[in-house]
This record gives sequence, structure tokens and C-alpha cells, in this order.
Amino acid sequence: MEASLDQDLVYGLAASPAFVRDGVIFAARTSGLYRSDDRGSQWRGLYSSLKMESPLTTLVVAVSPAFESDRTVFAGVQGGVLCSTDGGETWRASLLPKPPPLVTSLAVSPDFSDDGTVLAGTMEDGVFRSSDRGGRWAAWNFGLLDMNILSLAISPGFARDETLFAGTVSGIFRSTNGGRAWREVSFPSEAAPVSCLVLSPAFANDGLAFAGTEAQGLFRSTDRGVTWELVTHEGPTGEAKSLMMVQDQAVGLGLLVLRSDDLVLSRDGGGSWSRCDADLPAEEGMTCLAAPMGADVGSPLLIGLEEGGVARVEARWRPVE
Amino acid sequence: MAGSRTRRVLFQPAAYAAMQRGMRQIVEAVRPTLGPRPRTVAIAAQVNRRPPEILDDGGLIARRIIQLADPDEDMGEMYLRQLLWSLHENVGDGTATAAVLYQSIYDLGVQYIVSGGEPMQLRRHLERGLRIILDQLQSMVCRVEGKESLARLAETVCADPPLARMLGEIFDVIGEYGQLEIREGRRRQIEREYVEGMYWKSGLLSRQMVTDPRRLRAELEEAAILISDLEIKEPQDLVTLLEGAAQGGVRSLMLVARSVSDGGLGMLHAARESAKITCVPVKTPGLASDEQAEAMEDLGVLTGGRPLVKAAGETLQGFKLANLGRARRAWADSTYMGVVGGKGEARRLRGHIADLKAAFAAAEEPAARKRLQERLGKLMGGSAILSVGAVSDVALKTRKNLAERTAEALRGAVRDGILPGGGVALLACRPALRRQLAEADGVDERAAYRILLKAVEVPIRSLLANSGLDAGRVMAEIELAGPAYGCDLRTGQIVNMAEMGISDPAGVTMAVVRGAVASAALALTVDVLVHCKVAKKALTP
Repeated sequence: MEASLDQDLVYGLAASPAFVRDGVIFAARTSGLYRSDDRGSQWRGLYSSLKMESPLTTLVVAVSPAFESDRTVFAGVQGGVLCSTDGGETWRASLLPKPPPLVTSLAVSPDFSDDGTVLAGTMEDGVFRSSDRGGRWAAWNFGLLDMNILSLAISPGFARDETLFAGTVSGIFRSTNGGRAWREVSFPSEAAPVSCLVLSPAFANDGLAFAGTEAQGLFRSTDRGVTWELVTHEGPTGEAKSLMMVQDQAVGLGLLVLRSDDLVLSRDGGGSWSRCDADLPAEEGMTCLAAPMGADVGSPLLIGLEEGGVARVEARWRPVE
Repeated sequence: MAGSRTRRVLFQPAAYAAMQRGMRQIVEAVRPTLGPRPRTVAIAAQVNRRPPEILDDGGLIARRIIQLADPDEDMGEMYLRQLLWSLHENVGDGTATAAVLYQSIYDLGVQYIVSGGEPMQLRRHLERGLRIILDQLQSMVCRVEGKESLARLAETVCADPPLARMLGEIFDVIGEYGQLEIREGRRRQIEREYVEGMYWKSGLLSRQMVTDPRRLRAELEEAAILISDLEIKEPQDLVTLLEGAAQGGVRSLMLVARSVSDGGLGMLHAARESAKITCVPVKTPGLASDEQAEAMEDLGVLTGGRPLVKAAGETLQGFKLANLGRARRAWADSTYMGVVGGKGEARRLRGHIADLKAAFAAAEEPAARKRLQERLGKLMGGSAILSVGAVSDVALKTRKNLAERTAEALRGAVRDGILPGGGVALLACRPALRRQLAEADGVDERAAYRILLKAVEVPIRSLLANSGLDAGRVMAEIELAGPAYGCDLRTGQIVNMAEMGISDPAGVTMAVVRGAVASAALALTVDVLVHCKVAKKALTP
């Protein structure tokens, strides 16, 4: 296990889609945005070109699906979204309307190269959308009855189905027209806040989606997010910090659920679970997860920590009895 | 004495004949408007030297026919006119279909009754047949989603592709309850604008409070909102509010009140000059007191504020900081006030919306439904404004009316779903009616099903005739092609209606069938016409 960042909270991690080759990963932290080029061993701050007098807290980071060629990175901060097209060396700031909202989540279109679409979820001001690669942003909040966005998820088939999800303080909203309008889905509002959302890589076919809540465990939808049910069978309870779906060559689709004290994996859509058998930094408070090479045994898993730093462990799994 | 008021009594068979003649006049007036290639009807202006009104809306045409010269015929006309106008008011479309359906059932019903049929039994069986048709239609209903599908549906209503495309996009965004304002534009094109947040028609009480002089608009960030219908006469009344708010850390305050005296406005201006607090006074939305109460309730839920209500004896003296609503932004100009990012409790907002939706579903009065729908639209998080343009004033009014009618039909389609269009849905009810006919016992029952079997063909035949097609030949082709097939009236081709996206709003079709069959069945039981000496003026429409 390695922890090489100073003591400040890591809110989010985003790895390059070509991580296997370039080893690039970003960490959004209280003190700003950091980048590692060696799979999470060494980190360096990326805001030096902004010449800020005080640290610029960054709550979320997202990279373009074509990062290897376009080098585009987005960072969500108080009042706006920062965009870099050189892997984080220089930045262009796009301010959101005043009073400045806190950007809590970002979702980049899988067809970003063609459509240039990126969405930003905020606390208090709902969802903003940019269709020009992060240049101009406009509020897209029709039907959004809760403007406190904690998480966003974008369909892998967004170019065709234009489906998006927003997890809020009081429930889940779905858009089937690229964010122009939102409708609340059948999700038990007493189970909210919805802190994280993830869609299956084969969402267009299997309609599978998962929602992690702050206190009520994990919820699953098998009908494209219309209805949701609690995952009960030995599933993770309590707070879900982070969700990831990975597609491994060897064992297929996997769902990773990070909680503050453990990490679990399901290979059958939440039917059965395995617990991570590696030495997890649970006492340091785990906040977020990246599994850029999947969840096969031996793959590196990077875990952001409350007390600062990013831990790297090797995936090992033990079935939950 | 009632007898002294009676001028004339008309018995059978003259009564049926008079009713049919009157009814025929209104049906033939609206029939040309049926279908995607409608022809128009010119209505002479009621004021001399004004151009005639050009209409393609069956409901409006019916409304313009005030009175026929023959009082006997007038009764038949007025009866059908009321049906068409109420359909126009409730669902916005389908009046021409209702007219031809009604005429078919009534004419065939009269034929049967004069040959010895029993009117009350016939009515009973027609109404039973109506339930079968409605069940069949319900089983065919599909949901409509996506701006392309909505645009295609809109085009079947308005036959105006640019307008249809724009309305398709708008309803894809705002949904069934969304707020849509249709304005007369200044340009020839159609334009649309989406407004973030919610707004009400209610402007600034003082232009001195404008913060953006270029747009004559006051804008507040992180605004606190005092919601009331109070009449603030004494400047001193504002002291408690301003001091309490300032002590509570409020820097931007929107004061919603029925009125503020000049002295009060002066005090608010002074408070702003002293940089203590920016207070923007805005008139309470709504004209009547119940409208104001509803607007205050909605604003309260949206912003988390508690309204101060004059009727409850509340005053500014009883102001508490907790009464204030909060919003990310609030704005007002001379005509409107709006709120963006209201900080009311989201779960309470949902509950309030659910209550309004339930009230909407239960409401029968068109005015009450419209008001509830407007309230729901405001609460759903955004509004759309459609500015309709045209080449002349007459064309502008016609197009605006068309846009309103199409919007109403689209709203119904999003809410209730769609059916195969071009009269095909009604045609698809024939197998069920035939089964009932085969099982029917009495002669009246068999007659009712025969009448309905013929009647459900009439809309498609009228559409074909209006489009200049040979109805007999095309009907034979449709029969050969099988169920779900119909005629694309724009090309004359026989196509699968669902695959081609040719559809009708289910709510409209069902309301048309319900209204036409039930009204015709009831009209068939009318045996005597009685005229009064002094004709009462119709209040509605």
C-alpha cells in the first residue's frame, strides 16, 4: 500500500482510459487537482498556471473518453468548471451564473469527440450542460424538483438513447433527452441522499443501473432506471461511498462498492458478493475509488482517503459467507 | 304562468327533420377542416368594414355560428354546437371528427326510430357500444416520447411543419404539465425561449428598485422572500421587517405584497441607499383573492417561506425571520416576477405537486383544470415561451390559435398517450362491435351495433374525401392491407400508421367518441321541441 499525497481529503479520482499504457490518473482534493503519471505513485499539483493565492478546492474530476488524443480534463470547483486540453498543464475557467454554485459531479459524453457534451451537477443550482467542450454552460433543469445534485451518470449509449441520471439529496431523476428535461423515477425518497450512481457498460441492452445512498445501502434497477429495489442479499448496507462497474476480460462484468471500511465486488449484478482481501486503509477513511485496469485478481485499485493520500492495493477477493 | 311564455311546440316527425337540418348546417361548416389538408371557413366580421375571419378550427367555427334563422333548426344546431365547443375547450381538437360521428349516429338512429325502433332502448345500447369502443381504444394506447414523435403528432393536428417541429421540441422538454406561454411574435418566424425557474405575471411595485436599468429589471442573488398579500400603508410597518431581516443577515429581500404606499416605497429606497438591505417590492401574483392565495401557497412551498395572509389578521408586526422564503435568485420587471432555485424542502414540493396532480385528475371544470395545470407547470421547474410569427395580422391570429390548439392536443397526448391516426383506431373497433352484434338478443341492440359499425367508418371516409381521394377504393385497399394499416393522406399511400408515426392523441379521440356517441344517443330520445317566447341568451360559450 502506498500513500503519497499530503493530508487533505481526496474527493474524487479519474483515470485515463488508456491507463494501461500511460498510467495517468487525477485526484481532486481540498487543496486542488493532482496528477500522477506512474499509476498513482507520485503526484504533482496542476493549478500552478492559475497562480492562485489560496488552494482551489476541487470536488470532482473527469477525463475525456478520448483523453489519449485530446488530453481533455474537467475539474469541478466552487462557481465553475475548469477545462484543460493539455492534460492539466493549463486551464480555462468557465464560470456558472452567480451566486457561485458548488460543482459536485461531472459526466462526460461517451461520444465527447463528436458531440462535445459534458454535464455538471451542482449543489443548489441543478445541472448545467455544455455542448461545446466545456466552453459555455447553460442550466438544464426542467422537471428537476431537487436542485442539490450529488451524482450524475451518463448512458454508454448516450449518442442514441440520450439517457442521463441525477442523484439528489431527495431521490433520483432521469432524463431521456440529453438533459433537456428530467423526470423523477420510482425511488424511495426516504432512502436518499443518493451519493453515487453507475450504469452497466451494456446499459442499452441490460438496462442495469445501481445507486449508492448515504445511509440506506445499495439500490438496483433492471429496467433502465424506471424502478429501483434495495439490494438485500448479503449486499452492502449503510453508506456507499463510491460505485464502479468494470468489464474484465477474464470474468466479465463486475460491480465494485466502496464503503468507508470495506470494498466489495459482485460479478452477478448484486446477487452474490466478494470482499476485498487486501490490506485496506479503512482507518484512514476511504472516500473514492478507481479501478482503471478492472477488478481481476492482481489489478491495481486506487482508493482516495479522508485523511489525505491515495492508497494503492492489489485486487484480491474472498467470497462473503 | 309557464304557458304564457310558450310560443310554439313542434312534434314528430317535424322535430327530427328540423334537428337534422340544423345539425347538418354546422356539420357541413366544420367538415372541410377535417384532416391534414384542411380547407378554411370565412366568417363575416361582426363589425362593419372589417375583413372576414379565416378559420380552420371546428370549435371556433361552431362558436361563430350564433343563431340559425329557423328556430327549429337552431335547436339542432345549438345542441351540437355545445358539444363541439366543450370539446374545443377541454381537449383542443377533434371537433370536426365529433361532428361527422355525431351526424352519422343521429341520422342512422332517426332512420331506425321512424321505422319503429324504441329510442330509450336504442340509447341504452348505443351507450353500451360506446363502452366497448372506449375499451378497444384504451387497449391500443401507446406512449409518445421524443421530440420527433411529438412533432409528427403535432403535424397531424396543425399541418404546419415548422410549428409542429417547434412544439414537438417544447413538449419533449416541458412534459404534460409544463408551462407554455404562446405569444404573438413580431417577426415572421416561430421562435421559442426557455425560462429557467418559475415566474408569475406580477411586476415591480416601484421602478426605482430596478437593479439592471438596461433591461428594466431587478435581480437579487441569495434572495430572501417575504410572501404576503398585505397592503402596507404605513412606512413604520416596514421597520420590523427591515430590521429583523438585516439582523438575520439578509442582504437581498423580495417583498411580495398587495400594495406598498409611497411612504413605504420611500423607506425601502432609503434602506437600499444606506446599503443596509436591498428590498424589491413586488405585487402579489393573481387578480382574485383565491388566485393570490394559490400563488402564495406555491411560492411558499417553492421557497420554504410561510405566507403572511391578510385575511388571517397577520401583519408585518408579526414578522419572524423563519417566515422568509429563500431562493438562489429572484427577479422582477414591470410585468413578471420569478424565482430560480427556490430553497423549499424538495420532499414537501413533491407532496404539493402530487396533491395538485390529484386535484387535476379529479377536476371536471375546464377553468379549474387549466388553473391547476398552470400551477403545476410553474412548480415543475421551468417554462417555455413560443412566439408565433406570420405574414399578416389575420394570419398571425389564425396561427396563434392553431398553436394553442395543437399545444393542448400535444399536452393531452403526452398525458394520455396516442392511438393510430387517420381514423384507423376507430376502424379497429369494428371486430369487437361485430362480435357484440353476433351475440346481441334484441332488435334495438342489433340496431345500435349496426349504427356504430357504420359510424366508426365515417371519420376515415370524411378524411379521404377531404383529401381528394376515392374513399371507396382506398377503404378497400385498407381492408386488404389489414389492421393497423391506413392511408397517409399526404401521399395517398397505404401504410402502417404506427410505423409511419401517424397518430392521434388518445385523450382527444376518446373524448370525441364519448361526446359524439353519448350526445347523439341522448338527442335521439328528444321527441318534442318547445320554443319559448323570449329566447335566453347563451352564457357559455
